[in-house]
Amino acid sequence: MVSNLAVAILNGIVWGLIMALIALGLNMIFGLLHIINMAHGALYMLGAVVAWYVIELTGNFWIGLMVAPLCVGFIGLIIERGLIRTIEDKPIITIICTFGLMLAVQQLVLMIFGGSPRRISPPIAYRFPLFELQYPAMRIMIALISIAMMIGLWIFLRKTKYGLWMRAVVQDREMAVALGIPVTKVYMWTFVLGSALAAFSGVLAAPIVSVEFMMGREVLIMAFIIVIVGGMGNLEGSVIAAIMISLIQGVGALFVPPSIATVFALAFMIIVLLFRPQGLFGE
Amino acid sequence: METKKTKKKVEGILKKEISRRDFIKTTALGAAGLSLSSWAPVPFTYGAQPPIKIGMLNEYTVFATEYGYWLGKVGRTAIAKINAEGGIAGRKLELHEYDTKANPAWSASMCRKMILEDKVDLIMGSIHSGVHLACFPLIKQYKIPLFSGGSMTYEFTGKDSLSLHGGYYIRNHSHARSQAVAAWKFGFNNLGKKWTFLNADYAWGHSLAREFGSRVRAAGGKTQDIFAPPATQDFIPFLQKVDPDTEVLFTAFLGSAGLGVLRQTVEVGLHKRLQRFTVICTTEGIGQEVVGKESIGAYYIEYHPRHLDQLPKELHPYEIAYRKACGVDKEGKEVGNPKVTIAGSHMYSMWIYPYMIKLGIEQSGWKDSKKNMDLIKAICSLKLKAGPWCPVGDLVMREEDHQGFNDFYISRVEPDLKLKILEIIPKEKAMYEPETDLRKIV
Repeated sequence: MVSNLAVAILNGIVWGLIMALIALGLNMIFGLLHIINMAHGALYMLGAVVAWYVIELTGNFWIGLMVAPLCVGFIGLIIERGLIRTIEDKPIITIICTFGLMLAVQQLVLMIFGGSPRRISPPIAYRFPLFELQYPAMRIMIALISIAMMIGLWIFLRKTKYGLWMRAVVQDREMAVALGIPVTKVYMWTFVLGSALAAFSGVLAAPIVSVEFMMGREVLIMAFIIVIVGGMGNLEGSVIAAIMISLIQGVGALFVPPSIATVFALAFMIIVLLFRPQGLFGE
Repeated sequence: METKKTKKKVEGILKKEISRRDFIKTTALGAAGLSLSSWAPVPFTYGAQPPIKIGMLNEYTVFATEYGYWLGKVGRTAIAKINAEGGIAGRKLELHEYDTKANPAWSASMCRKMILEDKVDLIMGSIHSGVHLACFPLIKQYKIPLFSGGSMTYEFTGKDSLSLHGGYYIRNHSHARSQAVAAWKFGFNNLGKKWTFLNADYAWGHSLAREFGSRVRAAGGKTQDIFAPPATQDFIPFLQKVDPDTEVLFTAFLGSAGLGVLRQTVEVGLHKRLQRFTVICTTEGIGQEVVGKESIGAYYIEYHPRHLDQLPKELHPYEIAYRKACGVDKEGKEVGNPKVTIAGSHMYSMWIYPYMIKLGIEQSGWKDSKKNMDLIKAICSLKLKAGPWCPVGDLVMREEDHQGFNDFYISRVEPDLKLKILEIIPKEKAMYEPETDLRKIV
């Protein structure tokens, strides 16, 4: 039992960190632009699909990990300039538009990429013994990359001029404009960064899950739950919420049927929203 | 331009009196000619009679698209072939095709549209049990035969058949019960007596666990059931719960989850201490190279082998022709697109149905929906022999429950990632006592 609990806790933290990275881009876009980006899952999927093509061409996972976020970031740029900017400050319209965008991207990928799942081989095949089981080192590596990305993002937001601008725009958009901060540019690059983060997490998750046109759907729901529980716009909150939800599911599954453990995680979200509608760490 | 000579000739003919003898002689010759002409081979002519309208529903978007793609392609090819060969009873087959979006409510509205607007005579397709279930009230109300593309819920041809669909449902392929009846013994005798089922938490996964599990337990074996959400991505919390003394891990998930469970079983090292057993549904339309080396050693239940050379030799000529018509190579890849793998154990249903309909119409004298039940009875009493229209070998339809049976295959993934057939299970060993008798329907 102790060994099972230890594996469940380790896997809960690792999976939580992967989910946190997926939710990070979504939270950034919401926190700054107040856009509920329903296409985030599609961008996550697009990252994995682009990486699959790059890896097919080059045979190198790491090139895929670098190229896919750049490509999807560029697509994010087109989306922001062509779609989001024209409808900003209209929350309902943005939800509908990004939802439509998600469907369009999914069907486009279905047409080009096909409906069958494809595989991206893990760059690290090593597994280490963990009690009666083995544990894939790849997952630990993904978790470490997630941590590094989050630290990098934190430094970017706290220690750079651009990060300062972003935080200023979040606090008071009019004042930021008055102080000469290029708000439209900040918006654009935030959306690009959020899109690239979605793609980055898609590539990292691809060796564990499979690459397919619908892979963003399940992730999107979980990412929204994490963002809501952690507090909308609160990046640290997302990380903690992701790990908590993942632990509830993983550890809970040891004692009750796994489907019930998922219900526990959703019940946790409801309880948080009842007592703290702004999320655990939201202001 | 009319010349003087021709004008004279025409006038001569018009003025010529016809005697009674001439009249009888000419008429007799004409009648003989007409009679003979009906015996002569004539090209198939459209428009003389109204077409037979076939509705086709498949999963083209959203979910199970790897199935929908192939079921649609094979169904279209078969119908085109029937038309090229002269149609059925001189009538062209006209296809009306719709996407189910893997959504039962949407599919029911498409079914209604096909019946009421397109006025289809018959409907075929879909592997989605929920889609069929949603269409049942409509086919029952309008008395339209529905031919299952690949639904695995055995109850549809079980004891509640009459109340479910009124006998208007026909299935020429396997399902959870026939799979269990056919294959459980192989697993029990060769792989182990202690089984854990890690299946998708919906009807299909539960059905397989129940059908296989009950037989394993009845034979003195031990079983454990674990159910996970159908779209699970991280299987470690579920694999952790597998009993340490498990000898056989039976898994049933579709699409990427099907891949995920096989791969993650290896990632946590479980494959070293147990045997993996599954139905081919889990990796239909997905190449074994996509599943990867992690699938080596896994056992599959196939209903029609993926690789041509794994098929009994006597079926090769039919299979080669069938694959050529559908654009499939000998390794089960799409010709010109080797990244796409066939849904070989499912798509044959759509190849055989148009032929079954042809035989059924010819035998029953069906002309329109008034004789639909006669048509169904004719189709469900067919005993098809292996041939160009039945590349899966002999296929027996059972009148009592409208269920078809053909041979099963047990295969194992070899180091070259090929599904090698270890055992052929004849259809007779997949048969079980029918739970209903639809022959009583008038």
